[in-house]
Amino acid sequence: MALPTITFLGINVVLFGLDLLAFVALYVAISLTLNLEFGFAGVPNFGKVLFVAAGASVGGAFAGRFAAWVLNVSTRGDFIRFNFLIMPVVNTALAASIPLSFGLLLISVVVAAASGALLGFLFSYPAIRLREDYLAMTLLAMAQFFQIFLNNYYPLIGGSLGLELPDPYAWAGSDRYVVATGVLVVFAVLVYIYSETLAHSPLARTLRAVRDNEAASEALGKDDVAIRRNTLMVASAISAIAGLLYSFYTVDVVPATFGRVEWTFWPWVIVIMGGAANNLGVTIGVLVFWVMIKGIDSGKFVFSNYIPFDVTWLEYLLIGVVLIAILMVRPQGILSEKSTPTLPKSRLRRILEKYTDPAESVGEQKKL
Amino acid sequence: MADALVYGCLYALMSMGLTLTYMTTKVPNFAHGSFVTVGVYLAFTLYHFDNISAYYSIPFSFLLVGGTAVAIYRFVLKPLSARGASLVSLMISTLAIDIVFIGIFGIYSDMLSNTYKVFNSKFFLLADSDISILGLRGLTVIAPLILALVTAVLWLALNKTKFGIAMRAAVENPSLAGVLGINIERVYIASWFLAGGLAGLAGSLMVLWLPGNPHVGSDLIVAIFASSILGGLFSVYGAVAGGLMVGGLTVLVTVYGSQLLGSWVDAWEVGIPMLIMAGSLLIVPQGITAVNWKHLFASFRKR
Repeated sequence: MALPTITFLGINVVLFGLDLLAFVALYVAISLTLNLEFGFAGVPNFGKVLFVAAGASVGGAFAGRFAAWVLNVSTRGDFIRFNFLIMPVVNTALAASIPLSFGLLLISVVVAAASGALLGFLFSYPAIRLREDYLAMTLLAMAQFFQIFLNNYYPLIGGSLGLELPDPYAWAGSDRYVVATGVLVVFAVLVYIYSETLAHSPLARTLRAVRDNEAASEALGKDDVAIRRNTLMVASAISAIAGLLYSFYTVDVVPATFGRVEWTFWPWVIVIMGGAANNLGVTIGVLVFWVMIKGIDSGKFVFSNYIPFDVTWLEYLLIGVVLIAILMVRPQGILSEKSTPTLPKSRLRRILEKYTDPAESVGEQKKL
Repeated sequence: MADALVYGCLYALMSMGLTLTYMTTKVPNFAHGSFVTVGVYLAFTLYHFDNISAYYSIPFSFLLVGGTAVAIYRFVLKPLSARGASLVSLMISTLAIDIVFIGIFGIYSDMLSNTYKVFNSKFFLLADSDISILGLRGLTVIAPLILALVTAVLWLALNKTKFGIAMRAAVENPSLAGVLGINIERVYIASWFLAGGLAGLAGSLMVLWLPGNPHVGSDLIVAIFASSILGGLFSVYGAVAGGLMVGGLTVLVTVYGSQLLGSWVDAWEVGIPMLIMAGSLLIVPQGITAVNWKHLFASFRKR
């Protein structure tokens, strides 16, 4: 199956749409995990980029070495230095075998999730017991540190130059981007289903209790610290998988890609814009946000000749201002948080009808 | 050694401001690093176009950054908290301000290089323009002097003037201070002005020691937080001590570490404030100023 080529204003519309779809799926997954942390449990993860970058570096540090080891490709003693020679050999072997490719993908996903959860535990450990502002400061600082670590620590992913990755979609040939995008979309859908199931479960009520009133939830026997820590670990594991799938999508990992603005700040803007603790709202937020970004991007071509600076800066400025405006005008976001009744609504209504005086229950019914 | 002293003084000046705003408004200001960058760029611009020494740019950066900080408090944070925004919302709004600042620095440095042909606008160092005092580089003498002066003035102001006492009262218990007729709003504005001013001052001094670039403030934020947390976040003097310790230790550990273990230690410079921060959160989360040292020593002696 070859992709049809439709060009509009000199842009290949199909490729453009595919790329947009991949990013939307990626940000749906990441924003939903932030929603789980901040929206439901009230954990202010100001270091989201750390976990995404960690997942991506698993792609660089683990997937390539593992593939070379399984396929018996010689690394000539220095995997990073000869990366550009090893990867083509690995990719030819991977392209020949679909099960092998998916095996590599699955094992990498497991490793990424484990390391995301581990880092979530480790980096939040000093501050998870303290107030939320300490946790926010710690995670932001840790993320900053992690980026500098990736840039300087050569043995992991080759420092600031980064690494090429094995391509688990090589078997699809020229359609590899279609497959890669498809995997991202499936992943985003799975994360959405997980988040929605969780949102309607008793666990979500526990998380909200921890968020809204720590003392009360502790009085009811909930371990607030453990709940916050576990939430952060699960969300970090999912973010790491997202990071890994992104690095498989681009087939490389470069530390400079993982900036605070794109991977911490943007998800925050999306969650606040879409509506914290509302999964559908957050998903709509992703769509609105990417329409906004692409709008600014296309403005780039129009204005770049008239203004003496890079339009990316204007993007930073606009998004910052938009977030402050949302916080001032509509802090609950596009869709606000909904309460989840403990029983189906119809049953609740029947119970209410049974036990309340019909004359008094009119007001109650309207509330439901 | 000179490096350790200057780093310590700069970090102390920066974290004093962060602690001041945290004490009054109870929000960690994630844009504090960018306040420093404003000072850096102001000093650079004045030096480049008018050949004004960075030392003379201090009053300008103090006023400009102080004014900016007050504007941010007045037009962003205060309306938000008046609307009942949560702590996390206030934090994310300061992060948004930081992003806006990064955008502005990007635009400004692009314009400097594209329109005014200042090609080092994204990486510059004014160390050559520093004066020499008794054979030492000026900053090694002036930075500690300024820090001592600022601390002394702040101590006098907080303890000996009516406004300073009102300020402390407003920090301790805002509503009670309000009942007693203290204008809390004025106290908050004063603290934001001071915080911004000190950050701008630190920025003006920093161009004489470290290379400046548009993201210098974002890189510094780790060290600033580490200093403030080590100092306890509720004491300006704690911030001074924390800044001196973090700055000093960072330099000393890096220098001696690379002598002993090899040059790879240099790359880990930024990890040291990080470790100090994690360590202080684990051992003394309330900061060094909250530790009852007298009691601690006494208990050691008894053993």
